Amino acid sequence: MSGRLAMSLAMMRVMALELWRDRAALVMTFLLPPLVFLIFSSVFAGTSGDNLQPKLAVADLARTDASRRVAAALLKSPELRAETAPDAAAVRSRVKSGQVDAGLVIRADPAAPGKPFLIVADPSRAVAAPLAQARTQQALAAAAPDAALRRSIDSVAPALGELTPVQSARIDAAAAQLREKPQPVKDDLFDREDIAGARKGGAVIAYYAGAVMILFALFSAMQGALSLMEERRAGVADRLLAGVAGMGPVVTGKFLFLTAQAFVQAVMIFVVAQAIYGVEALQHFVLWLPTTLAAGVCSAGLALGLVSLCRTRDQAQMLSTFVILVLAAIGGSMAPRFLMPAWLQSLGWLTPHAWVIDAYQAVLWRDAGIAAVYKAWIVLAAVGAAGLLVAQALSRDPQR
Amino acid sequence: MNPEPVPAAPILVAEGVVRSYGDRRVLKGVGLSLHPGEIYALLGHNGAGKTTLVRAICGRLRPDAGTVLLNGADPARTPAARAGLGLVPQEIALYANLSVRENIETFATLAGVPRAKAPAAVRRAMELTRTLDRADAPVRTLSGGLQRRANIAAAIVHEPTLLILDEPTVGVDIDAREAVDAVIRDLRGLGVAVLIVTHDLDQAGALADRVGFLRDGSMVLEGEPRALVAEAFGDQMEILVHLAEGLDMAGEIHLAAEGLEPTRRPGVWTRLDSGGYGAAGRLDARLRQLGLAPREIRVRQPSLANLFSLVAERKAA
Repeated sequence: MSGRLAMSLAMMRVMALELWRDRAALVMTFLLPPLVFLIFSSVFAGTSGDNLQPKLAVADLARTDASRRVAAALLKSPELRAETAPDAAAVRSRVKSGQVDAGLVIRADPAAPGKPFLIVADPSRAVAAPLAQARTQQALAAAAPDAALRRSIDSVAPALGELTPVQSARIDAAAAQLREKPQPVKDDLFDREDIAGARKGGAVIAYYAGAVMILFALFSAMQGALSLMEERRAGVADRLLAGVAGMGPVVTGKFLFLTAQAFVQAVMIFVVAQAIYGVEALQHFVLWLPTTLAAGVCSAGLALGLVSLCRTRDQAQMLSTFVILVLAAIGGSMAPRFLMPAWLQSLGWLTPHAWVIDAYQAVLWRDAGIAAVYKAWIVLAAVGAAGLLVAQALSRDPQR
Repeated sequence: MNPEPVPAAPILVAEGVVRSYGDRRVLKGVGLSLHPGEIYALLGHNGAGKTTLVRAICGRLRPDAGTVLLNGADPARTPAARAGLGLVPQEIALYANLSVRENIETFATLAGVPRAKAPAAVRRAMELTRTLDRADAPVRTLSGGLQRRANIAAAIVHEPTLLILDEPTVGVDIDAREAVDAVIRDLRGLGVAVLIVTHDLDQAGALADRVGFLRDGSMVLEGEPRALVAEAFGDQMEILVHLAEGLDMAGEIHLAAEGLEPTRRPGVWTRLDSGGYGAAGRLDARLRQLGLAPREIRVRQPSLANLFSLVAERKAA
């Protein structure tokens, strides 16, 4: 074994022993990431569309036969968590206080002309209002088709001209028949086609597995890289710089350890993702492995490079917090990138997070081949290598 | 008749070392040499240039002018020259969660000790520093004195020919200091050249074969401690007067008029006097006359501390 490799491995051992004997740091490093991943997955899995169940307060002020049927259908709908409210004021109050995501006030008989339904929306939960509207239209079509029929006839009546008594009688009969024996709702307007090989709900899980992985890899790497500052403060750097090898092997050892640490973190997260949500990491191991190593190299190198630029631990702490939070926010570790405005999505490509998330999604969700991810590997590895070079160069600076 | 012993070649030779930071000249042609088995104490106030000189010796910076040779080579240009150098920083430069043994193993590897020789080297370093019985204790659990000795152990594991200690006993009690001093003497006995950078003048006086006073980037005084003191003070003795603490300004003015100066210890005043014990008796009577009855008056040989003050006074003058 060459001398410098032995020195780097000695530093890896130091980092591993320091972490192993600091139980709080150990938990933060290896148990917190899968836990946060589980929380994020639970929160955001619903937003993929299949499981979103907004809470809806329903006040039936019309109290007609049709309005009661619509309200009852909403209350029974598995796609909603609906509850009754006595009046419109109660609905508004519950929406305003956040007890429900949206409100519905049935102001008139659904078959009556005009707008019988009022949706009460909270702009901060904008997605709930259109969902409540769609569910109400479904309930109207399913539970009060006669009312829907009458509204349809009323809407086309101006074009048809005045109905004859025979036509009116037939419509009344059809409505009565629909009321007695409602037909299943047919949607003749839309067909739906899921993308090839799509797995329900998995996209968001794969997204957040990658997002949480790079978030914690960088967070832990920054914490680990802060040991460079500690070594400077405690005189370890002075001791080593006075020796034959200098700080080079120390920086390399830290880099190897932090890369390995990120790898173990990724294993913890993806084991949970596969066991609980069926994310097929093992099945895509051949591409998952280089993606994970590239993410680890990037986080380790970036952290060491950034910490090396600082002169004091306080500076490094501040930079660390700034980098972790801002990069995570822009790069999509906190909120999905597809929800961001276009300019922010473009800006996201300047963060490792976006590359890591995109690469994992390509591998695990879109079943993409190497052609879809090699650029991400190159970018991530290049960023990590650049950070390592900066750290190596600055660690030799006698003035630091 | 035995031939005269041939003096060993110096391990460290620094000549005319000049170094500036911007417009500020920190070292102004400093020279220093150190032989095997010699202890040299480098003294000086903060900002005198001690740290810069040590950095130049360690090869961490290149002098603007002059030369530094460590084991015959320039340590800034020849990393191999630094193989014979051990540095003990002022701080406890160890990994707190690792045991003494794990720390020394790590620094052995980082100093390039071959794997096969490492266990014996680690054991030897712990034996020399008397840390073997706490080898497996985490450093953070050790007393201050043991941490200091472990700090030294990590610097000697690769058997350096020159050991540089920066304030090796700062913040430790007398027992711990004596233990550290014993380790340093043992290393001298093994032929290691030791350079101590310290403000502890008592330690320097007790340990050092030679001392050097660095002031404003120049070596203003250098030599064997007793000889320097004798040369500076001749037959003068130091009279130490212990008074009650909390003197008023009038009392301080009286003491100053008698040629007494305050020391770092509260209530203790000092003056140099060639009159010996007779002068001490006269001073005692005079102070009683002034209403400043001493609790104790002692007479002793001047020390490095007095010399240090003298050097500082010359600067002020």
